[in-house]
Amino acid sequence: MPRFTYTRPDTLSETLRLLADPGHNSRLLAGGTDLLIRLRHDAPNFDRVIDISRLPELKIIEQAGDEVRVGSGVTYTEMINSPLLQRLTPFLIQAARQVGGPQIRNQGTIGGNIVNAAGGADMLPPLVCLDATLHLVSARGERAIALPDFILHPQRTHIRRDEVLSHLTFPTPPPGVRSIFIKLGRQRTSAISRLIVAAMGGLDASGRIDFIRFAPGAVTPRVQRFEEVENLLLGEFPTPERFARAGEEASRVMQALAGDRWSSPYKTPVLQTLTIRALTQIFPT
Amino acid sequence: MQINFTLNNTPIVIDAPPDISLLTLLREHLGVTGVKDGCDVGECGACSILLDGMLVNSCQLLAPQADGRNILTIEGVHDESGGPTDLQRHFIEQGAVQCGFCIPGMILAGEALLAENPNPDREAIAEALAGNLCRCTGYIQIVDAIEATARERQARSGQGGRS
Repeated sequence: MPRFTYTRPDTLSETLRLLADPGHNSRLLAGGTDLLIRLRHDAPNFDRVIDISRLPELKIIEQAGDEVRVGSGVTYTEMINSPLLQRLTPFLIQAARQVGGPQIRNQGTIGGNIVNAAGGADMLPPLVCLDATLHLVSARGERAIALPDFILHPQRTHIRRDEVLSHLTFPTPPPGVRSIFIKLGRQRTSAISRLIVAAMGGLDASGRIDFIRFAPGAVTPRVQRFEEVENLLLGEFPTPERFARAGEEASRVMQALAGDRWSSPYKTPVLQTLTIRALTQIFPT
Repeated sequence: MQINFTLNNTPIVIDAPPDISLLTLLREHLGVTGVKDGCDVGECGACSILLDGMLVNSCQLLAPQADGRNILTIEGVHDESGGPTDLQRHFIEQGAVQCGFCIPGMILAGEALLAENPNPDREAIAEALAGNLCRCTGYIQIVDAIEATARERQARSGQGGRS
């Protein structure tokens, strides 16, 4: 007796109809790299799998006006190979390159990373820096939600049973802005992130920082921009002393948000150091 | 449910439960045991196959996801006479095969790399093998074998140079 049935709709609207069906507890299948692992440990709390891995509507990568749009079904490999993302969001490519190995990158999707919302999810810090908005659709309609508001805590989001994350959007980063993604894992590849720093920055004509986004990952219950760190840098010249202060502030904010944990003696100095490293790389001093 | 796909250039029509992995379908329902079950959680790459030319872990796919697709396993990797390909020959000659368990996945990862990058340097090769674990060799001979194959293929097609 199979634990669940399988269906593969051809369109997004067919998918929404299936999800709205009260006769089934359905689970969406995209890359499968989280779902199939979970099936080893837990009996499924669903009776039907809906395969959305080949839906063309979820595979878009495009610029529309001032905005970039990325479909939830785009795989890490597709992101890495996208000339648009390579040009506009190099740190998102850096992040995608460091997820798992080639097999995982060929299957896993950006949408899956967001909705699975693991504590060390690699896509979240750069997308939070980019001020990404998520677009959720269901048979009831559509809604948009800012990424930081979407995550409740690790592995728990505001997505509803009948919803599909269709795509995300973010404003095109201003020209001249540089970005960086630093990942610390137990090994160089195929590792879950233990600590992430994502940042974007730009200088005005006088050499002062006029654009800064800073979001660490795997250090707080919810991924968010550390505005205290950003405010410390905005309007200032990029100097080692200022970066050192930013590093201290990052650790202070982490402790305030995450509290004292068994990992704090490790993460406190490491976040400080990686903050300085990230800022040094995006701001030529 | 019925699943239709092409396996090593052969059309397959098979009735199988929807809740098994593609790895289980291949090994236990189709007897294709060159695809190995090393970890079942997508970390070791021993179950790697080419799905429409893309390197993936068959343990991380549900059997019905094979429907309509083109699958290549190690059983499909051979020359016209059924003997080893150049890559397989280099694996043997370079001492890249010890217990042999990782080799099907390594060969497919190597072929996937060379299809996309015919002139990889050693770092690119190592990156391409990041999803395939070997407990015996220490990887150096495997990288040597892929490098030697790339060099030989480039020489045969008259193109030199490194990228």
